[in-house]
Amino acid sequence: MAKAILQGIDITRWFGGLCAVKKVNFSIEAGEIIGLIGPNGAGKTTLINLITGYYTPNSGRILYGDGNIAGLKPHTINKLGIARTFQIVRVFPRLTVLDNVRSGLVDRRERPPWRVAFDSITKGPDGQMTGRAGEKRALELLESVGLSGYRDERAENLPFAYCKRLEIARALATKPRILLLDEPSSGLNPREQNDQIAMIRKINSQGITILIVEHVMKVIMDISHRILVLHYGEKIAEGKPEEIYKNEKVVEAYLGGEASAHG
Amino acid sequence: MNHKPLKSVSVILGILVVLALPFIIRDRYFQHLLVLSGIFIILTSSWNLLAGYSGLLNLGHAAFFGIGGYSSALLALKLGISPWIGLPLGGLIASLFGILIGIPSFRLSGPYLAITTIGFSEILRLVAMNWVDLTRGSLGLYGIPPLTPFKFSEGLSIKFVSEQNFYYVVIVFAALTLGLMKKLIHSEFGISLKSMREDEMGSESIGIDTSGYKLTVFMISAFLAGFAGALYAHYIRLISPEMLTLGETFTVLTMAMVGGLGTLFGPVVGAVLLTFLSEGLRFLEDYVKIDIRFIIYGALLMATVLFMRNGIVGLFQRKTPLKKGSEG
Repeated sequence: MAKAILQGIDITRWFGGLCAVKKVNFSIEAGEIIGLIGPNGAGKTTLINLITGYYTPNSGRILYGDGNIAGLKPHTINKLGIARTFQIVRVFPRLTVLDNVRSGLVDRRERPPWRVAFDSITKGPDGQMTGRAGEKRALELLESVGLSGYRDERAENLPFAYCKRLEIARALATKPRILLLDEPSSGLNPREQNDQIAMIRKINSQGITILIVEHVMKVIMDISHRILVLHYGEKIAEGKPEEIYKNEKVVEAYLGGEASAHG
Repeated sequence: MNHKPLKSVSVILGILVVLALPFIIRDRYFQHLLVLSGIFIILTSSWNLLAGYSGLLNLGHAAFFGIGGYSSALLALKLGISPWIGLPLGGLIASLFGILIGIPSFRLSGPYLAITTIGFSEILRLVAMNWVDLTRGSLGLYGIPPLTPFKFSEGLSIKFVSEQNFYYVVIVFAALTLGLMKKLIHSEFGISLKSMREDEMGSESIGIDTSGYKLTVFMISAFLAGFAGALYAHYIRLISPEMLTLGETFTVLTMAMVGGLGTLFGPVVGAVLLTFLSEGLRFLEDYVKIDIRFIIYGALLMATVLFMRNGIVGLFQRKTPLKKGSEG
């Protein structure tokens, strides 16, 4: 078995009396596409938030590279090479589409804020990502998600489906090794979903490991190498898509428990 | 791009007009207003960097202005330090207080940060009022030395007491401030600030250390505000805790909003317009017997919010036709 790029060990997170994520273990290999599914309230987004530093686990470890990243700040985790998108998009509404991506291109890894400010004063515009080099790279990224025609449009004027893609381009701009997608297909029509699947495959083919949370089964079954299933915060199944289809626990969770239209 | 020659001609003309103003306007009172406008350009630009570009609604900005003024004045009065050194020192001391007020901004945003910053500036005002040994309380500091003259040779020196000469000092610093603002805004730093303003969580997801950026931008902004305060102190040469009042902050806020919040030249337009407008309408005070300024500011703010969300500069900024459903 290849070495895991990201590994969760007994990750647990409580919200008051509710255990949103309970002793979850997982292991993701470099280059994989992992699907993360489960009924509403299963803890999928919470798990993403734990991995990306928006929440701190109450216990457990998240191993990435050589160290434990549990409890690090979101910006630090991004600098280490883990990027994400959000279930409810968080694009920068009053910036142009181009600037949304450019902002992600700014290399902040080795430069604290004061250094970025200093460089901004001393360097000319073309030494910076806000200059021509950044524009070119940002356009390439926009091209890859099919948004280059909207470069000068403010993000707030984009339809929801485009915002989702813009977020992906922005996340890719930070040169991640792992990309976490939180419901990238929600609100898309079937044709857009197919485009989405092709796009995610293309990103993966560039060597980026992907963890994808998704309600649209067509997408997740099509695309995932392996699938993790969460239910009430616990991992109830793990395996290849065809195994998950047949798994009794999973079927029960989706059909037997709360009503769910997604199964 | 085709308009480039036209643009540079108008820029040169603009600079010439600004340089010639004190010769066109011979009236000393109007020259005084020009100097005040220049100081407010620096102060309002510094506030705009926080509120307009970083989304940090600082309602205690007068504190930085006052700290700069008091520091430079006290350094000159008590220690005999040259005002020319006092100007950057005033800025630096204000910048230290910028750290102090920047730290609560890590976790507070919007109205909560606004209230905290009001508290901060009120505390400093009370200190200035009550630390009589140092600040002479509400009497204020007087006899603050003017900027030291430039001596070229025996008999040839430039003094900075007259409005006309001080005007040139102020416009040099105002131009430097605008140049610095342009660098800070149209750059990697600026795009990081704007991202943070637009969506804090989203910006963290692309590696923006929001706490660090907030601290940095508070320090830069406070430095500029403190510098403006020091300029003011050595120009007026009499300062009091009035400098630290909320009214002062609201003056700055109104200038930025009316001119155009989050635009480079908004503060310039706002500062000049409001300085002249509020002085021009002072004669009304003979009839109503109250400080007329804030009535004007209030009316202007309401008009801005209702009819031109992006201020006066925003009115000229629409490059692309508005799409249905989007706003200014």
